[in-house]
Amino acid sequence: MRPFPKLRPTAWDGLVALCVAALALGIAFFQWRGGTSEALTAVVSVDGTEVDRLDLEHWEEPRAYTNNGYTLTLSWIRHNDAENGVWVAESDCPTQDCVRTGAIFRPGQSIVCLPARIIIRLEGGTPDPDAVDAVLG
Amino acid sequence: MRRLALSVLLLLLLSGCGGQMSPDEAQESIQVLAMDTAMLITTYGERSPAAAYACEDTIRDLEKQLSRTDPDSEVSRLNAAGGEAVEVGEDLYILLHEAACLSAETRGAFDVTVAPVVSAWGFTEDSFRVPSQAELDGLLKLVDYNAVYDRYLPTADPRAAAIGPGQAIDLGGVAKGYAADKIVKVLQEHEVPRANINLGGNVLAYGDRPDGTPWRVGIQDPARVDEQNAFAGVLALTDSFAVTSGGYQRYFEQDGKTYHHIIDPATGYPADSGLTSVTVVAPALEGFLNGTMCDAYSTALFVMGEEQALDFWRDRSAGVFELVLVTEDGRVVVTEGLADRFTLDESSGYTLEVASR
Repeated sequence: MRPFPKLRPTAWDGLVALCVAALALGIAFFQWRGGTSEALTAVVSVDGTEVDRLDLEHWEEPRAYTNNGYTLTLSWIRHNDAENGVWVAESDCPTQDCVRTGAIFRPGQSIVCLPARIIIRLEGGTPDPDAVDAVLG
Repeated sequence: MRRLALSVLLLLLLSGCGGQMSPDEAQESIQVLAMDTAMLITTYGERSPAAAYACEDTIRDLEKQLSRTDPDSEVSRLNAAGGEAVEVGEDLYILLHEAACLSAETRGAFDVTVAPVVSAWGFTEDSFRVPSQAELDGLLKLVDYNAVYDRYLPTADPRAAAIGPGQAIDLGGVAKGYAADKIVKVLQEHEVPRANINLGGNVLAYGDRPDGTPWRVGIQDPARVDEQNAFAGVLALTDSFAVTSGGYQRYFEQDGKTYHHIIDPATGYPADSGLTSVTVVAPALEGFLNGTMCDAYSTALFVMGEEQALDFWRDRSAGVFELVLVTEDGRVVVTEGLADRFTLDESSGYTLEVASR
């Protein structure tokens, strides 16, 4: 039986190992960043169907949405010169709950207009570790 | 060449470690507009998409049967039957019986037959008005859960139900809780390890969070309803139902006075009990109707007020349900079974009290 040849690592082996480790770390970092670096976006749904996505970094003009006989106007707002948010500036719905909700700034928050069957929900942005998972009331 | 192939293999293995998602982390989140509210269903696990949509199907199916504003629903047919018995499905049969029992248990503080009075205030169709005392007096004669109870139990047909002549029922006070009860079974059938189900303020905290800690559930501060993330406190919950009733949730103003939607079945007027919100928490157990119970109790105990609500809690065995009461005079009263799972929001300005048995 032929004996195994003796293997001795060379400088070239070390370089290849370093490159592989660096590439793996880069890919892992890219994947990790991919889950959290999405811009804060207002997602507008009408009757359960998504109709608009508004990147809060670049959107400033108010937009009107009409459904079920009611129209609400969504506006952009900046809070403390740092946080971008949205609020329903105007609505002709009978309850006015969407207007009373005020501005939302954090991912997961939403504004609901039941008469118009419109939901505005914030997605993306930086997750808040202190945020609650659900709200009662 | 061999060295290069090994390097590529090693690279794939290393990069794969960062990108592969465990079945437990897979999640599906869907929004549903149903039962006159906005719902958010978030399920985890390999079968999370199928589970989330099965939850939606359950809710839609119940809405179809239980809606009071849909003329084709079973509830509408029952309300229009003029006191005659009508055939109903299993869900309405069970829920009507449970609602009648909860009405009796709370001595009418929750009354499944209060619907005509609620409608007179315009809360059913969002056409708000203050009814006259004469109108309320007439309608209050129809508010009597005993008529439902008495006419229901002797029925020979197991799928028939009846209410008194002129009466109407509105199951809006228990329908979301009942939906949450049914969703527990759906989640178990789909082997969902954890889920966060918010049925318009009725929360089912199923399992724990992906990081192994309890779900964090905020209780809206009734004094700061115009602010999001303004809480009276935060509950840490696993495998629990939690339901809040508060006068701030739905109301209108007329002649400088505010009228909210929780009607006291004894007076016909919005309840004025000194409480601004009531939260009821109970274990989420398959085969029990604890979600339905939390829904009805939150309304009933809001009507009762602090003293009667705490007496009601003390009269029941430990562990059946727990309470968080927010009072008009700036206190948060937590029953002892929840004390270590509730954190007061210091910015709310409330003082915290723990009620014991």
